[in-house]
Amino acid sequence: MNGEPIVAVNAGLQALLTSLRSNPYALDSVHLAITTFDSEIKEVLPMTAVADVTLPEITCPKSGATLLGAALEHIFEQVQRDVRKTTSAEKGDWKPILVILTDGKPTDTLAFSEVIPRLQSCGFAKIVACAAGPKADPAQLKRLTEHVVSLDTMDASSFSKFFEWVSATFSKDSQSRGATASVDLPPPPPEVNIVV
Amino acid sequence: MAANIVTLIASDGSTVRFINEIKAQGGVKDVMFSPDGGYVVAFFREKADSLARDRLLEITGRYREKIFNQEGGDYLRNLYCWPTAVVEYEGRLGVVVPFYRDCFFFEFGSRNNDMLGIRRKEKVGKWFATPGHRTKFLDQRELGDWMRHLKVCVMLARAVRRMHMAGLSHSDLGYNNCLIDPTTGQACLIDIDGLVVPGRHPPAVIGTPDFIAPEVVMTSHLAKDDEKRKLPSRTTDLHALAVLIYMYLLYRHPLRGDKIHDPDDSQRDEELMMGARALFVEHPTDTSNRVNAANLKESELPWKDTAKIPYKVTGPYLAGLFERAFIDGLHDASKRPTADEWETALVKTVDLLQPCSNPNCGQKWYAFDNKQAPRCPFCGTPHRGKLPVLNLYSSHTKGKFLPDNHRVMVYSGQSVFRWHENRFVFPNEKLSANDAKRVGYFIEHSGDWFLVNERLPRMRDLRGGQDVPAGARVLLDEGAQILLSPEPGGRLVVVQMAGN
Repeated sequence: MNGEPIVAVNAGLQALLTSLRSNPYALDSVHLAITTFDSEIKEVLPMTAVADVTLPEITCPKSGATLLGAALEHIFEQVQRDVRKTTSAEKGDWKPILVILTDGKPTDTLAFSEVIPRLQSCGFAKIVACAAGPKADPAQLKRLTEHVVSLDTMDASSFSKFFEWVSATFSKDSQSRGATASVDLPPPPPEVNIVV
Repeated sequence: MAANIVTLIASDGSTVRFINEIKAQGGVKDVMFSPDGGYVVAFFREKADSLARDRLLEITGRYREKIFNQEGGDYLRNLYCWPTAVVEYEGRLGVVVPFYRDCFFFEFGSRNNDMLGIRRKEKVGKWFATPGHRTKFLDQRELGDWMRHLKVCVMLARAVRRMHMAGLSHSDLGYNNCLIDPTTGQACLIDIDGLVVPGRHPPAVIGTPDFIAPEVVMTSHLAKDDEKRKLPSRTTDLHALAVLIYMYLLYRHPLRGDKIHDPDDSQRDEELMMGARALFVEHPTDTSNRVNAANLKESELPWKDTAKIPYKVTGPYLAGLFERAFIDGLHDASKRPTADEWETALVKTVDLLQPCSNPNCGQKWYAFDNKQAPRCPFCGTPHRGKLPVLNLYSSHTKGKFLPDNHRVMVYSGQSVFRWHENRFVFPNEKLSANDAKRVGYFIEHSGDWFLVNERLPRMRDLRGGQDVPAGARVLLDEGAQILLSPEPGGRLVVVQMAGN
């Protein structure tokens, strides 16, 4: 990812952080962690309360592998390490939400396939994946989660709408609950396609 | 890009215009703004059906008139953001709602030149009910004091009481649906389109987490038409109201304690905590859901430490209602205090307030604790000087006065009003402008306190056996008896002295 798309992702993250900070529920409870993946896995933001987050600039190499499998391995370990479990003395953390954003296909397919069941059973409240642009493969992401959205274009406005949606997902638990529906994702913005 | 403005004719025949761009999203609605910012149009995301249309037409029509076209209607306009008309656009129903008043948007926002970027955003109650947000983030000019928080609660209780009197329930009370302004002590109910009319319009939502009554949480997995399913109603509003009042006065949730109900599943743990196994964190005998102060963050202290700030600091009238709401009535909806009881207790608690003499006290006011030597429960500062306590009695049959369980604390700036003079007068939306004026006041002179009569025609010092005409004053000391009015319902004041 390069040029406008990566600028838009950084801007989107900033907007997400601003939105979480101006929401009194999120400010009180949400922690963020960011891991980037290309041919390397980097935990660019360790688990941090939104009030204390300083966003790193996300950068990407021009070409190379997309080690999504290894990235998810890392996430799995991070969840084991950083998400506090309920003990007999203290309540643990809420179930985490995982948001995956990629413009490519996983190149470490074996690792990716292996990590899917582990990730699905490690207690995420929700996994949301976004396939951005023409090279991304929503079908691969669909194996991991039913909540896959695809962005046809990788421009600033699509990303900003996507991050708005992510932010709404984070805020959802503090809103009115319908009498019929269970816990749903908020409706996606019109420019994002939900992959079914 | 030129904004796309849509023009429609609303149900009441008025012309409604809005900019076709979602400005905010709620649980079930998308909100668009009018070009002049005078109102918003909130569209339901679900397709229009005739039942929903009927409900909205009733809310904007008949129910609206029932509330506003009666005595006190003008006063009530400030307590609700009531939808005025229904529109339909592209198969979806919308309601036209007046824009919120300015006082419900942050003027200063957060500290450090509004580091969170919340200036001009809505004053959602959660900001003010979270100790960490108060101490770390909100600009101090936004916080108000404890008296204003009490007044916010009076307004909320009044708004809910008036709605219940009209046979309506809100069904989704929570801090997202009531805006509050602790700097002036005002509150306003919003999102009124979810109103429930028993037997006619069933609820569309079950409420907002933290405020949903235990019986609704417990049965939310059942089908909507299942006999055992409990849906929002007047009594669930009363649970939400009690939670709101508790949170605005004590900055913590009454059921969110450290008891673990399911160690393996945090969602189920939450459901049990708010539902089947809901337990008051300050239950007098079952201490299993106490908040463990050792696990608290610095910024949450002392508020979340119930041993430091127990619910009893709210004074005897409110403490009694909290016990009914969270002990007796938590799992027995019929025992919950009504909105009317809350309103009365809150108004009476205003009379128990004493200013804290510590200029740095964050709360500035506290309720009298019935102690000979009172101290501020929030900062620990003791009261200085004499403190006359007026006990109110009223005449039931001629010459026979019974206690009203109502005390008035004296401080500089405190006044006597018509509702102190006569038990048939109550300060609510029906109070006339004339009855809202003070009838007497208190002054301190050389360490003694006096009650000065301003407008009471037949005030009498019974112990001294003298009339106290307007302009005259009477010393407040132990055992003084002052008749404010000999009329039916007229009050007799018996003075006790506290302080030093």
